[in-house]
Amino acid sequence: MKVWIAAALLAFGTGLACTNSPYPSADDTSSIYYTSFNEAPRTLDPAVAYTTSAHAVTGYVYDTLLEYHYLKRPYTLIPGLAQAVPEAEPRAGGRVAYRFEVRPDLLFQDDPCFSLAGAGLTTRQVLAADVAFQLMRIADPAVNSPVIEPFSHLVGFGDFRDRLGQMRQDDAEFAALPPREQYAAAGGIEGVRVDGDLGLELVLREAYPQILYWFAMPFSTPVPWEAVAYYDGEDGRAGFGDHPVGSGPFRLVEYSKQFRMVLEANPNWYGARHPEWRAPGGVYPSEGAPGDAEAGLLEAAGRPLPFIERIEFRREKESIPVFNKFLQGYYDGAGIIKESFDKVVQNDRLSPEMEKLGISLSKTVSPAVYYLGFNMEDPVVGAPAGARGRKLRQAMSLAVDSARWTELFLNGRGVPAQSPLPTGIFGFDPDYRNPYRSVDLDRARALLAEAGYRGGIDPTTGAPLALNFDLYQTSSQQLLQNQFYVDAWRQIGIDVEMQPTNYNQFQEKVRNGAYQIFIWGWVADYPDPENFLFLLTCDMARSKSGGPNTANFCNPRFDALFQRMKVQENGDERVALIREMRTILEQERPWIELLHPEDYVLSHSWVRYGKPFGMSFPTLKYRELDVELRARLRREWNRPVRWPAYALIISMVAVMLPGIRTFYRERQ
Amino acid sequence: MPAHVVGNAVVVLLFAGSILLGVYLRRNRLWREALGEVARRRPLALAVVAVYVVVALLDSVAWIGGADPGTDAVAAHKARSVIDRIFEGTRENSYSAPFAATSFYGDLPLERPGTHPLGTDILGRDVLYRALKGARVALLIGGATSLIAIPLALLLGVSAGYFGGRLDDAVFFLMSTLASMPGLLLLIALIMVLGRGTWQVCVALGITGWVGLCRVARGETFKLRQLEFVQAARALGVSHVRILMRHIVPNLLHLVIITFVLSFSGLVLSEAILAWLGIGIDGSWGQMIDQARDELSRDPIIWWNLTAAGVALFGLLLAVNFVGDAVRDTLDPRTARERL
Amino acid sequence: MGAYLLRRVGYSAVVVLGVLFFLFLLFFTVATPDDVARQALGDKAMPEVIEQWKVNHGYDKPLWPWQSVSDNLLFDHFRRMLTFDFGRSDADDVLISQRIRQGMVPSLSLTVPMFTIGLGAGLLLSLFVAFFRGTYIDSAGVFLCVLAMSVSILLYIIGAQYAIAKLLRWFPISGFDPDPSVIARFLALPIMVGVLNGLGGDVRFYRTVFVEETSRDYVRTARAKGAGELRVMLRHVLRNGMIPVLTRIVIAIPLLFISGALLLESFFGIPGLGSITVDAIQGNDFATLRVMVYLGSIFFVAGQILTDISYAWVDPRVRLG
Repeated sequence: MKVWIAAALLAFGTGLACTNSPYPSADDTSSIYYTSFNEAPRTLDPAVAYTTSAHAVTGYVYDTLLEYHYLKRPYTLIPGLAQAVPEAEPRAGGRVAYRFEVRPDLLFQDDPCFSLAGAGLTTRQVLAADVAFQLMRIADPAVNSPVIEPFSHLVGFGDFRDRLGQMRQDDAEFAALPPREQYAAAGGIEGVRVDGDLGLELVLREAYPQILYWFAMPFSTPVPWEAVAYYDGEDGRAGFGDHPVGSGPFRLVEYSKQFRMVLEANPNWYGARHPEWRAPGGVYPSEGAPGDAEAGLLEAAGRPLPFIERIEFRREKESIPVFNKFLQGYYDGAGIIKESFDKVVQNDRLSPEMEKLGISLSKTVSPAVYYLGFNMEDPVVGAPAGARGRKLRQAMSLAVDSARWTELFLNGRGVPAQSPLPTGIFGFDPDYRNPYRSVDLDRARALLAEAGYRGGIDPTTGAPLALNFDLYQTSSQQLLQNQFYVDAWRQIGIDVEMQPTNYNQFQEKVRNGAYQIFIWGWVADYPDPENFLFLLTCDMARSKSGGPNTANFCNPRFDALFQRMKVQENGDERVALIREMRTILEQERPWIELLHPEDYVLSHSWVRYGKPFGMSFPTLKYRELDVELRARLRREWNRPVRWPAYALIISMVAVMLPGIRTFYRERQ
Repeated sequence: MPAHVVGNAVVVLLFAGSILLGVYLRRNRLWREALGEVARRRPLALAVVAVYVVVALLDSVAWIGGADPGTDAVAAHKARSVIDRIFEGTRENSYSAPFAATSFYGDLPLERPGTHPLGTDILGRDVLYRALKGARVALLIGGATSLIAIPLALLLGVSAGYFGGRLDDAVFFLMSTLASMPGLLLLIALIMVLGRGTWQVCVALGITGWVGLCRVARGETFKLRQLEFVQAARALGVSHVRILMRHIVPNLLHLVIITFVLSFSGLVLSEAILAWLGIGIDGSWGQMIDQARDELSRDPIIWWNLTAAGVALFGLLLAVNFVGDAVRDTLDPRTARERL
Repeated sequence: MGAYLLRRVGYSAVVVLGVLFFLFLLFFTVATPDDVARQALGDKAMPEVIEQWKVNHGYDKPLWPWQSVSDNLLFDHFRRMLTFDFGRSDADDVLISQRIRQGMVPSLSLTVPMFTIGLGAGLLLSLFVAFFRGTYIDSAGVFLCVLAMSVSILLYIIGAQYAIAKLLRWFPISGFDPDPSVIARFLALPIMVGVLNGLGGDVRFYRTVFVEETSRDYVRTARAKGAGELRVMLRHVLRNGMIPVLTRIVIAIPLLFISGALLLESFFGIPGLGSITVDAIQGNDFATLRVMVYLGSIFFVAGQILTDISYAWVDPRVRLG
């Protein structure tokens, strides 16, 4: 028995010699930024990847022709791989052209795939043709890119797409060729003209000023054809979707979907090779928004980027560990999904514990909107119900208190929405108050009575009006959050029932039109009102074109206004158009606008130059770590508390000893 | 037929059934003594189980109408159970600590200060109310699943053991196939296919849960078939159905009871895991735990929600496990041990 | 013995075929390949893209043999599973076999120590309790066992992460690193929780077995011959109680490997098979899920055969055949 106790003591002893650090101790001295991810991206192909978790990688690996200024607000485009932000040049027939000049002497990251371009090569220069290649990939039906619609403004984009598909169908031999040769044989996109090594001219069918924003997103990054050809998923090589090859500030050195994604500074990046260029995307900005200088955000002005050597995204499926490891200093920033961090920030204030740890908080409103949508083709809540349906939607809108929801579930991390447009987007009107977006239960009841549902009673059944609220998630958390809306509607006597299904079944219901109320969010691709209001145009209706207008809202007047607003330069006229569109939405209520979420940046004292950005845009190249401070504080915060182990062992022995003694005495 | 009518009917049936069962058990000396023994050994645990059962029954008796239910205009037209009515109008705005007079965040006065013994949750619902409502779900999981699994297991097990031959081979094959698949995964796959919901979960639990009892029933029937009284009955030309109903099944009843009680906690614990995956039953303690677990990271910590659900679950399972042990020891120490 | 084993293996093979057929019914007839493709590619995917996807995943065939004898999904499903050619994941096109290989090491490094420590601790504690049978140590032990059995594993995990990792800071809250110099600290907590979760039921069961054994004649004989109580326990009771213990262990192994580790791996961030399975469940990745069920049943069937062999090994009275 003594041996046993000794063994237990030994086990405990060695156990306690351990630390709670989740990293090897060598990591204490290098500039590694630790953060987490919740769900691995399905693909890292820049033509396809459209989720926040994928952009967290592709955004660093694939540099773009243009990018956003880190500090300035409203968001401003600056040149990235391009020499300058191009101006629109009007052409005959209402066409518009943009001319990009790619920087000289840009290199892709080192990768074995370049041996296809020449034996022994590990990299090559970035050319305008690589951008053109990627644009053709977006058009390629086999790539299945989600952003065909905006790029369809390019002259000949759709033709190329159709031609390619047709040729593949007609000619099996053609279909077996590598994509690059297929694209060349299909003649390329008419409106994409490569001029020499570095010139790229884009011709649009009509004015579409928003196209420039698409060149600040990874979709339009230069992609080496060698990588697409080499990484085909055969013979032990990864697929291109799992092995990105780009020209960005970081490169992906480890990619394990279950475990971690590791990015390392790319020595071939122009910022590292040519700091003397002082390119806008290669050095820390020297001007910012008001208040940035006071916040110390300009201290690094002019220094070459990036400051961090390595970024490690660790897989964390559950939110509690992420948050606690952040508090222990083992994560430098919030993960890609920030939900759990809301819990501690109470009404814009850090908890005392976090203040004691020196954590700071900054926030900004994201260009995003959450909303409850009605299926406008439904006979009860939609357009077929005419004025009755409209009044019903208005009444339901008046019952929802999204400010309180935000307070409960996001701890105030968000502003109640009055219209689809959030602050910071052109056309946002801070003084506008939507008459149907403040809680007024009496008015809601009156409207309900006008709609023929007095007290919520549906005259055909004699029971409260029963509606379905279709959810695409079944997690307990989601149910709890949406119960809030159900409870709100129950106050005015409408019996809304949640129908939680998985995403697949939800899509099925949407395809069949078998849905009434749903909840959805939209994060803008770029800061322009067009990117919000297009969600409600007839062309985008889910039932007609499979577009993102899941509400199936279809209003000719709204569409006409949208077409004018889309190409209008920012100015009074555009404001007037947006106002008129807003009024239509206000009355028709296809959406109950809930809130615009706020993006929090919680920073440890050792993380410098953190500024929330709001959009899904990679900003870690601007951050810096004080590694020594981090190592010291981590040690200080994580001293194990050992006495309970000893206390446990002693008390166990103390409880058992008398029993053992009596037992032996009796045996004797 | 509205759900609450069914619920009330079930309660009435349960009452009638338990009275009949009670009468039967009082007449039968063996059962009477066995039950007496269980009650003598585990009076406290039995009492706890009884409390849970009463709560679940009170939550199952429901009717429409009655006093004004307050802010919820729909509830007035819906059936509400006794438990619902007791806790009517206890809703607050959001979190409040147990017996607190003010809300947890912002220190605003509560509608009913000091009346929430377990505090309120994020939507302001009384936590005691939610914990009590979980009892019905937990017992439903155990009860409905057993209602599916036990007849299935008896039917297949008894006929396989009694008739033998091809039928036995088929049943045995079915059992081995189901048993060799990882239970939890099979359960999840079934629910993914059947869809989410109370009955779907119970059916899936039933499909995955009948094998154990079936195996025991088959083995016991096999033994019973060889016994003299069965042989004699057969020699006398008594029909198979009659033999099965009169001689075999009654002799398996103790095994049924043991299996039911012992597998109960496993079923409820499985549901908790399903709740974590988002495919559990609405209103279960598992779901409450899953909804509350992030609250531990709030600062100051919110513990009452998780604790209430955890303790309610733990209390029921502890009591059931103790009763189960006692039942097994009294009714049949040998067979049941081999099975588990 | 050889003939018996052969028959045993043969029957197990039939059971595995049964499992495969069941999986086919569940995963091909209820959720058709078109549903799965649309889920993976999004709603807007063009029909030819969906067709191509089905070709890549081998789903471009009729379901049943009577639709096409040579080329149908049913035979294909059996052929692929039996040759361990699992194809690509429905969710992200990664080779399932590769993913399983990657998950193997983390999974084994969690489950093997968890299993051995759990078994060792279970046997030790149950012998300890059985040794002191009749005293308050025994009754307290049984009480604690039932107590431990009545707690949901969710609560164990949440409690351990909160108390041991957050408050006491003994181990990392979650994470993993295959580097042998640091791996122990990541595994300590999940192993602790896993062992604790299973310990109650195990100890109670083993104790019953051992207590029963101590009342047998041979124990009395051994005692009469003057063997010490400890020696009786370890040499006689432990050995003779091994058969029921073994049966229970074999049932536990496949559970431990796949479903038992589901929650542990997810909460503690261990990139093993359980974690892969949870991803498959949440991402509706049926291809991976059915492989996991299939592998689980193979482990189970193999385990059963091994038990039969080990029966003969621990108990010379058992003759197979």
